[in-house]
Amino acid sequence: MKVLVALFVLFAAVFNGNLADEDSQARLLASKNILNQYLVENKDLTVEYRIFNIGGSVAQKVRLQDDSFPEADFKVVAGNLQAYWERIAPNTNVSHSVILRPLNFGYFNFTAAEVSYSSGEDLTERQVGYTSAPGEGGIVSFKDYNRRFSPHFVDWMVFAVMTLPSLGIPFLLWFSSKSKYDTTKPKKS
Amino acid sequence: MHLAIKTIATFCLLVAPVLVLGETCSNPQVKSSVYTTTEAASSMETVFIVQFALKCANSASNLNLFADVNGRTFPVTRSEDNSDYLYQVSFSDENKNLPSGTYDVKFYDEDGYSNLRKAQRSGDDTSSVQSLFSIAVQHPGVWKGPLVASEIVALAVSASVFYFAYITRSKLQSS
Repeated sequence: MKVLVALFVLFAAVFNGNLADEDSQARLLASKNILNQYLVENKDLTVEYRIFNIGGSVAQKVRLQDDSFPEADFKVVAGNLQAYWERIAPNTNVSHSVILRPLNFGYFNFTAAEVSYSSGEDLTERQVGYTSAPGEGGIVSFKDYNRRFSPHFVDWMVFAVMTLPSLGIPFLLWFSSKSKYDTTKPKKS
Repeated sequence: MHLAIKTIATFCLLVAPVLVLGETCSNPQVKSSVYTTTEAASSMETVFIVQFALKCANSASNLNLFADVNGRTFPVTRSEDNSDYLYQVSFSDENKNLPSGTYDVKFYDEDGYSNLRKAQRSGDDTSSVQSLFSIAVQHPGVWKGPLVASEIVALAVSASVFYFAYITRSKLQSS
């Protein structure tokens, strides 16, 4: 299961058809990635957004909004699902991370977040685009994850206790008889 | 007349940018919450998230801030949804580039940031640039699982028990 999809969705910025004008526009590419190796119920899930400005001018009032995590299924541990940058300079990128905790296990379709921004002089005209979508990911139940990856300390201790009688009882019997009859004899090396 | 133009020009150059850039925060009071990646299973990269609320003595709000960590600068985001911590800055890197330790995240307002960039460009000492405030991030490191798997420990224990029993038996038989 590969959750990380490095897929950038080019913003369908309002196309002017004018090449000279196009150069002076801000163009944002946004990606949304899930950095986890395993998606586990009740364990941290790291979502990272990256926004690149590949346009020729500053993107202003950039707003990232991710409504794709329903409250019933995810709890926010750290970070905000909505972020606002005053501006993103051309040829730079910004990143934003959110830590969530899946409350249920099963398959979940990770969809895109929305990015809107203004470009150029007119700040009232907003351009709206979407990030890449990481796609469907399977969230493993905490029990299954533990069965595979926990050190099983308790299980091994139980195993040790269970094997103790079959080893310990003969040893104790031998040891008691040895100490009864073996006291006078000098110890052999 | 000439003086008047000069005065207006000076006003435009010196005072106007301050008015446009808005407020600076005086005597900031910071309440922060920090998250760092602690388990390799939950993230392939080390992610730091610093969230904070800022209270200024001059009640400046919605500031445009920048963070600086070990020479890398990041813009600080705002989120009106979060009533506890309005501001957030997050950054990530490979695990080996962000080892455990304490990181001092320094925050700058617009003026401070432009001074910082100026100092960085000219190769000056950036520590002379006054930051607004700083937040210490304690990163305990990323746990990649136990060094020795438990089954290997169990195998070693059972092997040593067997060895002890075997040695004892051969001693008894030879005596």
